[in-house]
Amino acid sequence: MTFADGLKAAALLFVAAIVQVSILRQIHVFGGVPDVLLVTLVAVALLRGAVVGAAGGFFAGLLVDTATLGQLGLTSLVLTVAGYWIGRYGETTGRDRAHAPFLSVAVVTILYGFGLLLVHFVLGEPAPAGAMLEGLGPAIVLNLVLTAPAYALVRRLLRPFERSDLTTEVQLLG
Amino acid sequence: MLVVLVLAALALLTISFRSPTSGVLHDAQSYGATALRPFQVAATRVARPFHDAYNYVSTLTGAKAENKKLRRELRYYHALALENYAAAQENASLKRLLQYEQGPTYPKGYRTVNASVISFPGGPFDQQITISAGSNKGLRVNTPILSADGLVGRATNVGRSTATVALLTDPSSVVAARDLRTKVFGLIKHGQGNTLILDNVAKEQTVKKGDIIVTQGTRDRRYPSLYPYGIPIGQVIQVGTSDIASYLTVQVAPFAKLTGIDAVAALIPTKASKLP
Repeated sequence: MTFADGLKAAALLFVAAIVQVSILRQIHVFGGVPDVLLVTLVAVALLRGAVVGAAGGFFAGLLVDTATLGQLGLTSLVLTVAGYWIGRYGETTGRDRAHAPFLSVAVVTILYGFGLLLVHFVLGEPAPAGAMLEGLGPAIVLNLVLTAPAYALVRRLLRPFERSDLTTEVQLLG
Repeated sequence: MLVVLVLAALALLTISFRSPTSGVLHDAQSYGATALRPFQVAATRVARPFHDAYNYVSTLTGAKAENKKLRRELRYYHALALENYAAAQENASLKRLLQYEQGPTYPKGYRTVNASVISFPGGPFDQQITISAGSNKGLRVNTPILSADGLVGRATNVGRSTATVALLTDPSSVVAARDLRTKVFGLIKHGQGNTLILDNVAKEQTVKKGDIIVTQGTRDRRYPSLYPYGIPIGQVIQVGTSDIASYLTVQVAPFAKLTGIDAVAALIPTKASKLP
């Protein structure tokens, strides 16, 4: 991971966060809201691993909470965990698999929704589970629609590591 | 790394939760939001045409469904309005009945049972209505039925919770009546159209146009009348005679509106033996 890569990932997440907060939040399709930030984070985490995923999640969440003047740290907490988990998946099982971005986006959309619900609930804020569940299906579909172009763009900017650069779980010595 | 970031997020969350509207973190967040504002405005402006186009298409596709929904709602509210209008009419009739019940012309020894009219005369050959009170409310065959304006008829068939009422305009209806002014006795029968006739009035008797006709009541205990004395029936609108006729032809316009009536009252005697 070079400095330029980090800069590109930050820029991508910054743009995605601004687009998400300013534009996509207004678009409700059958109760679901597309989340380009989550999709971008998944793409970055898959291509650059758990550490970048976690840091990117933290940074993106901070941006969202700042731009919306929301509870600072709330989105960061959930996105950090999501970025890390997807990064780990990308480093291990999901490596070189075509369906990995789609599977990751679908799973993360669900976990992200439940994660936010849980944090809101723990903080004693309104946590409408019914409304969240109602919009979950359409949100997954919308995010899956966004996945292909978003992943292609991120992949273009952050070229995948060579096989030799990737972390290996088992290293044979000798 | 994950632990550090999670702890940092939790720390931010805790501080932000404890002082959501003040403090260093809040100020920093405000500055951050201000810094991000131009980017958000720019993004909004760039997206505006697309957003408008999306809204346009979305509205267009939703318009048909909305139109259908609104039409359905319109039908519902139209029916509701009609229902309310009918209820208001019935309410007015019942109020007037109540005023009559509390008025000076109300016959003594009777109580009233108010009822709605649930079916109307089917045509010119059927001068009967059905009301929403029956034997469970104390109605019997021949119970006098009246409205706030005057006599309507009598119950001819009484069920448990409904009763059929023969109107004054029914061919079978005969009511002993008298001229309130001259005390001339006669029998009210159906006339032409919605009018009545005061029959059996001798030519020597005096009945004038505008006289009020009321029920006669019982004159002889052996032959009790179905109707108590003094219930308004109608007003004389025409008096005629001919050389060969034995009786006057007295045409009476009923006070009670016999068509389109909403509510009526049944006169139930407080003593059980009052009705014959």
